[in-house]
Amino acid sequence: MQKKVLSEQALYYGDVSMPKGFEIDRDKLSGDILQSQLFNKEFPFSKTWDMLNIYIQEHIYLNYEIQLINKKTWGNNYKAKETTIPFLQADPVDLRHSPDFTLLYGVKVENCLVRILYDDNRRKNKSWDIELKNNMFIMFPATCMYYLINNQKDSENFVQTITYEYQ
Amino acid sequence: MAHFAKLGSNNKVIAVLTLNNSDMLNANGVEDETVGQQYLEKHNNWPAQMWIQTSYNTINNTHLLGGTPFRGNYAGLGYTWDEDNEIFWPKKPHASWVKHNESASWKSPIGDAPALTAEQTNQIIAGTHQWGYTWNEDNTTWDLIDGLA
Repeated sequence: MQKKVLSEQALYYGDVSMPKGFEIDRDKLSGDILQSQLFNKEFPFSKTWDMLNIYIQEHIYLNYEIQLINKKTWGNNYKAKETTIPFLQADPVDLRHSPDFTLLYGVKVENCLVRILYDDNRRKNKSWDIELKNNMFIMFPATCMYYLINNQKDSENFVQTITYEYQ
Repeated sequence: MAHFAKLGSNNKVIAVLTLNNSDMLNANGVEDETVGQQYLEKHNNWPAQMWIQTSYNTINNTHLLGGTPFRGNYAGLGYTWDEDNEIFWPKKPHASWVKHNESASWKSPIGDAPALTAEQTNQIIAGTHQWGYTWNEDNTTWDLIDGLA
């Protein structure tokens, strides 16, 4: 008897463990998120963001041989006690131009829950909860709907999103 | 063109980059690894000491062009930098295999596979058999296999 996996919905997550002295400057990222939100501008490219992006690309390739190519990036701040609407980064009517993966990075977060919705064949709308922590990333298929829950009473959560396609 | 391995945690190679030789010249105009490391730190935001020069033409501690081998093997993704012995090690092929520093390669606990006999070689040339030894990790033996069987 043999088995062939035709498709998988995998969740990749972990800390971004940069070398000492080269840590991701999360203050810079949260400042950029605020700036881009306040002035309704695109999230600016920065050395800090680039370090995060390269870390992800290199380590995902090293460990899983998936070559990630950037699609888009932006940052959000989520209010205290906020439960977001469900997000879906893949466009069901334009899959050709949709990303393959959604990556969330904890810039400044606390009690931040990510709920990822997925189908397991005929078992539809299953969900998986994972807590997003500071300096941690979670990457999952862009075809999965997800939402974020900020369980804090009075502080905002800052989350960076990067979408990728793969070769 | 010079090549540098980028080291991640546990001295694992996470990338290999090329560098113009002119970007690693010291004040005397001599190629200097530390100058290259500083250049890479500045332009790639990764600590200088975590960039290690590697030789494109070195494999199993032999220089393919007859030169002096440098650091055992050309670094590849997933290789491990052995600082003490100055060797880039590929992944361990089998659990029982051990490091052989002189050849910068992994060796089976019972040594290399036996040489094929003259008869076996003749049969390969004749195309009637395709003899070769493969490692049997369960029994820690070299098993003779006929690829045409």
